[in-house]
Amino acid sequence: MSVGHVARVFEEAGIPTVVIMSGVFAHRARTMRMPRVVLTPHIMARPLGAPHDVARQRAVLDTALDLLANAPGNGTIVEFPEPYRPGPGS
Amino acid sequence: MSDTKAATGQPTPQAALQEQETATAAESFAEFKNSFFYAGRTDLLFKFMKNLPDAEAAEFLHGLLARLGETVDDGDLRRILDYVYTWNVRGYAHEDGPKNPWSYDEGPFSPLGKPLSEAKLGLLTTTGNFVEGDDPAPFGMQGLTQEDTFNYIKEFAKAEPQLSRIPLDTPPERIVTRHPGYDIRAMVADRNVALPFDRLREAQTAGRIGSLLPEAYSFVGLTAQRPLLSKHAPEWAAMLQAQQVDAVLLVPV
Repeated sequence: MSVGHVARVFEEAGIPTVVIMSGVFAHRARTMRMPRVVLTPHIMARPLGAPHDVARQRAVLDTALDLLANAPGNGTIVEFPEPYRPGPGS
Repeated sequence: MSDTKAATGQPTPQAALQEQETATAAESFAEFKNSFFYAGRTDLLFKFMKNLPDAEAAEFLHGLLARLGETVDDGDLRRILDYVYTWNVRGYAHEDGPKNPWSYDEGPFSPLGKPLSEAKLGLLTTTGNFVEGDDPAPFGMQGLTQEDTFNYIKEFAKAEPQLSRIPLDTPPERIVTRHPGYDIRAMVADRNVALPFDRLREAQTAGRIGSLLPEAYSFVGLTAQRPLLSKHAPEWAAMLQAQQVDAVLLVPV
């Protein structure tokens, strides 16, 4: 829940934030009303993707940057659609 | 024969075996499933079992073995990964009870005041990273190893957060990951799984982001929540604003 506190304090101070987190913690994103969140259906501790899966990491970051630019208001949650994949991807 | 002793008064071989089993089978199922949570079998990928009632933990393990059996022949790991993910969600959903003090009906929101391609972006993570030689020494302890942290879980939870500064040009091998709360194997293999230095730099090179702060920030997310909320997070916001940051990417684990 630490990141929820940080996100809320930063937004109150006027700093826009975007969070990338594993969907395992989806309940936290919602109960803490985090401002902008990308939830990835990834195994815990791999929020952007598997090690060396550059394409997946890039796609997740890209989703977060879109959300940062376009979210209409607090509590905007985007669920990244692709399941976790091990290995460097394709 | 229901008696455990033979008519001679000597224990039968079966009774002796039973006694031996009783002596070695001291661990209950509850103890077993809880041991993945900082006790004996510490495995942070499966520590969520402690949050589950026994019957649900048994259901999880039964299902895991069944899927492992199916995977023996077709090698399709996806079913196991999906299954573990689904149960992770279920395990952590038990975590915040109805008395959770950090539940809100609404929250603050600051719009990005300029195009992303002109914005200066910062990165702050709760992954417990620091640069080699710059140990934040939590609760005064220098040189704790990852293994050591499991013995100090309560101390981390009570200590105030310490923010480490990590210059973006730090070579990957000089970035240490130390955190008592999550499975760090992926992070050690490739920092970009949660500390996406290389992906951010690519996005900047491509012109998607205007610029990046020259250093990223990281702390151990398992920390005292009240001082984080009332003291440290506001100080960090001021520190970032002094650098004219336009937005911050936050990555928890």
